[in-house]
Amino acid sequence: MSLVAEAVKAWAFAARGGIMNCRNVFAVLEMLFWPLVGLFSVGLLTRFLDLGPATVSFVLIGSVAMNTVQIAQLDVSYALLYDVWAKSLKHGFIAPIHVIHVILGSGLVGFIRGLVVFIVMLALSIWAFGMDLRQAGWLGLTIFFLGLFLVAVIEGVLVLSLVLLFGHRAEITAWAISYLVLLLAGLYYPVTLLPVSLQAVAQLIPLTHFMEYFRSFYGFPVSASAPLARGFLLSLAYLAAGYGLITVSLRRARQRGTLLKLSE
Amino acid sequence: METAIRVEGLFKTFQSGWVRRRRLPVLRDLRLAIPAGTIFGILGPNGAGKTTLISILATLLLPDAGMVEVLGLDVRRQAAKVRRRINLASGAAKFVWSLTVLENLRFYGHLYGLWGRQLAVRVEEMVALFELQEYRHSPFETLSSGLKQRLALAKALISRPELLFLDEPTNGLDPIAAQHSREEILRLNRQTGVTIILTTHNLREAEQLCQEVGFLGEGRILAQGSIRALQTQLGLGDRVILEGAGPLPRLAYQQLPGVLRCRQNETHLELILDHSDSRLPLVIQEINQAGGLIRAIRVEAADLEDLFREFSR
Repeated sequence: MSLVAEAVKAWAFAARGGIMNCRNVFAVLEMLFWPLVGLFSVGLLTRFLDLGPATVSFVLIGSVAMNTVQIAQLDVSYALLYDVWAKSLKHGFIAPIHVIHVILGSGLVGFIRGLVVFIVMLALSIWAFGMDLRQAGWLGLTIFFLGLFLVAVIEGVLVLSLVLLFGHRAEITAWAISYLVLLLAGLYYPVTLLPVSLQAVAQLIPLTHFMEYFRSFYGFPVSASAPLARGFLLSLAYLAAGYGLITVSLRRARQRGTLLKLSE
Repeated sequence: METAIRVEGLFKTFQSGWVRRRRLPVLRDLRLAIPAGTIFGILGPNGAGKTTLISILATLLLPDAGMVEVLGLDVRRQAAKVRRRINLASGAAKFVWSLTVLENLRFYGHLYGLWGRQLAVRVEEMVALFELQEYRHSPFETLSSGLKQRLALAKALISRPELLFLDEPTNGLDPIAAQHSREEILRLNRQTGVTIILTTHNLREAEQLCQEVGFLGEGRILAQGSIRALQTQLGLGDRVILEGAGPLPRLAYQQLPGVLRCRQNETHLELILDHSDSRLPLVIQEINQAGGLIRAIRVEAADLEDLFREFSR
């Protein structure tokens, strides 16, 4: 097994995702239009409510996180959804590839698109709403983005697994899943505002800890100690579980004939 | 002769429904052996399980039970090795809509680990082989059915497979494009020696392409052999009607070689012959020797649909 050949198989999904994004007007809208609408609507709301600079930053961090995670996650999900929509899924899986090639290749596109959204939204947050990024510094920003990217990959892998298990019925999860996670992770509010039972669930979501880590630079308390360690450990655990789940889902798809049904 | 496919006791049942389970048995104790280097047709009516069988052989579907070997490899335990050596093209080809011919070929080439100059050369070979030069930058969605089918074949050959699966390869093509595709398939087999397994419910296509066919029905291979051999087995052959100038002699026609069935009235003799070209002269000679005089002969080539009907029954 040549390492180059294996890298090329992953590159196939990155190259295809890149081409599809460049050629599709909807992809540009998805990357810039909706995130900007979200950022400005939330930012203007903070002005109307006359919030202080720290609280404005708290809310804007939620908006940046939401859009970055959503865009990066969609690219991972699209890796198989393109084939599901084109009904060409079987041609990919008759080739000597593994799901890791799909995840790595599409993850690369998600990383680049997510990074663009992250940078544009932070720049606009500074320009339009006076958010001060110096408090977090380059290292804080880099770690925050990596955390968001990991959350996006976990969600993307979950969507891929659901598509392999349930076919077209699971497509909606590509868009719905990140909203649910963001709701529980304290998008525009501290997780301590959630009902107690949901607070426990929030502690199991890595995004909760990554957002708390970044918000701590603006003087907000964290709900649990060592948020970075918690966030990354939880992410690793979910990535491992997600990899197991997608492997099982693919096997089940081969048992039940889902690959064929999604190619008809 | 080497065996490309060996199947013993293959079972496959589809299950659906999460609450109320429904079971649909498709393959039952299927046995099959296909020699390497041939074009083999899997025939059968709609719903017979042709696509299920080919999908199991192509590792897209897992069998429930049985031994399935492709190129000497077990499809369950050695699926990754099998995938490196096979490829597939379907009728009504479908690929990602906005990728061009070149982009689609590059994408699938990458999936087989091809890259750089090696990939570029192979893509150009495929483009030339299937006469796609003019359409190299055309998005898939703008291609005609015939061009899509050519792209599907090009994609299937990009990895230089030793075994090629063609699932109803001329499905949806107009007669001219279908004939062109058949010629391509024959040329590929002759030039490269690739084993080709195709499913079809078009018997004429099977007759034109396949050295051997297997007839799938009731979840198993009901018969296997050349189309001619299967016709003989079922007593289906060329229909020959001899009209006598007067009464024709009543001979033991059934005893003559190649006569499958016989019906006679005073002036007409109707025979079903396995090969009318080679058998008819002897029949005429026998009639002449017995003093009979033939005024007209009508030959109707074997109706392949009869074969289909007979096995589907």
